[in-house]
Amino acid sequence: MEEQSEWSKPKEKFCGNCRHHNVYQYPDFIFCFVRYQDHKDHVFPTLGCCEEWELKPQECFCVEEALKKKHV
Amino acid sequence: MRREDFLREPVVPMKLQPGMTVNQLVQEFGNSGCFGAGRLSSACDIFERMARDEECTVFLAVAGAVVPAGLRRVIADLIRKKLVNVLVSTGANMVHDLVEALGGHHYKGHWFVDDFQLYKYHIFRIYDAFVPEEDFVKCDKTVVEMFDEIAKENEGYAFSPHELMWEIGSRLSDSESILRAAYEAKVPVFLPAIRDSEFAYIYRVHTKRHSTGSILKVDAFKEVNEIVDIAIRSPRLGMIVIGGGVPRNTVQHAALMAGKGLDYAVVITMDRPETGGLSGSTLEETVSWGKLKRKAEKVVVIGDALIVFPTMVAAVLERLGDKFERKRIPKL
Repeated sequence: MEEQSEWSKPKEKFCGNCRHHNVYQYPDFIFCFVRYQDHKDHVFPTLGCCEEWELKPQECFCVEEALKKKHV
Repeated sequence: MRREDFLREPVVPMKLQPGMTVNQLVQEFGNSGCFGAGRLSSACDIFERMARDEECTVFLAVAGAVVPAGLRRVIADLIRKKLVNVLVSTGANMVHDLVEALGGHHYKGHWFVDDFQLYKYHIFRIYDAFVPEEDFVKCDKTVVEMFDEIAKENEGYAFSPHELMWEIGSRLSDSESILRAAYEAKVPVFLPAIRDSEFAYIYRVHTKRHSTGSILKVDAFKEVNEIVDIAIRSPRLGMIVIGGGVPRNTVQHAALMAGKGLDYAVVITMDRPETGGLSGSTLEETVSWGKLKRKAEKVVVIGDALIVFPTMVAAVLERLGDKFERKRIPKL
C-alpha cells in the first residue's frame, strides 16, 4: 500500500499545526504573520483555527502541550 | 639586528595575589609578554592610547553573536563614554539588542542538546545561548510597526542603515540598549549587511502590510559616503574588531578610501589566516592593502571575544579612572 505523505495525513485543524504559526505565548497562543500582514487579528489560541489554515507539518509540541493543559 | 637585540627584555614570571584588580592581572600578563597574555596586554595598551588620543576616531566592528551572549551593556557603556565613536555591526547583533530592549531575553543553555527538541519547543540556539521564538516574534512585530511609522513620517526619504538605526534608537526607552545609547550619544551605527539578518524579515512583513502605502526606503550605498567622510575628517583612525567579517572590512575599507589607513588596530578573533578569509587575516596583510599604516600600533588577540573584550575594557577603564572624559564626536 502506498504510504501517506505528511501532507495527505488527516490532521485536526488547529492554529498550532498550521504552517503559518509562530509562538506568542507558549503553548497557549500563537502569532500568525499571514493575518498580521493582512491587518487582521493575529494572536490566536493554539487550539483555534481560521479559514487560512494550511497544514505543513511543523512537528512542534504546541498542539500536544496545549491539549495537555486543556485536559488537566 | 644584532644578537643582543633579540634578548633585550626578559620574561618576568607572573605574580598573582588575592584581591588583584583586572588591570593588575593584565599588567602581569604584560610582564610575561608571551602568547595570548602578551597579546591581550598589548591590546589593552593600544586601546588605552586610542582612548587618550582625542584626535582618534575609534571604530568598533562587531561580528558574531556577542550581544545575545551578554556584551550588550559593555558596548552601550563604551558608546556613552565616547570610547567608541562609530559602531559597525552585523544586523543580527542589533536585532538581538532590540529583542532585549523590547522585553525579551536570551537564556543560558548548553551546546549539547537535542536540537530537534529545541525546534519542537520553538527555541533557537546560538551555541550555548537560547532564545525563545516568542521574543523574536514580539521584537519583529514592534519593529515592523516602527518601520510603518518611520515610512509614514518620512514619505519617500531614503534612509541609510545608520539613519534608520537612529530612528529606531529614538523609539526605545531601554537605557542599556546599544541603539538607544548610540542615538543619545550621536554615535553612528553602520550596518553594511543589514539585509542579512532579521531586519530582512521585518522589512518583508512591513512591505507586505503596505503593498499600496508608505514603504520604508533604505539606501545601503548611502552609508559608504557617510563612513568614508567620517574617516576623512578624522585626524587619526583606530579600529577594534570583535570577530571580523563584513564589519571589519567596512572599517578597513573606509580607512583606505579616506586615503590614510588606520593608525591603531586591535583584532579579537579565533579565525586563522590560511583560508584567506578576512576574519582570520593578519594585520600585516591589512598593511599590504594600504588599509592599515605600516607603523600602526596593532595586535591580533586569538581568543574568545566574550573573555578578551570585557577583560580589555575593564583594564582600560581602570587605567583611565572615573574622572576621565573623552569628548570626541565624529562629524557626519
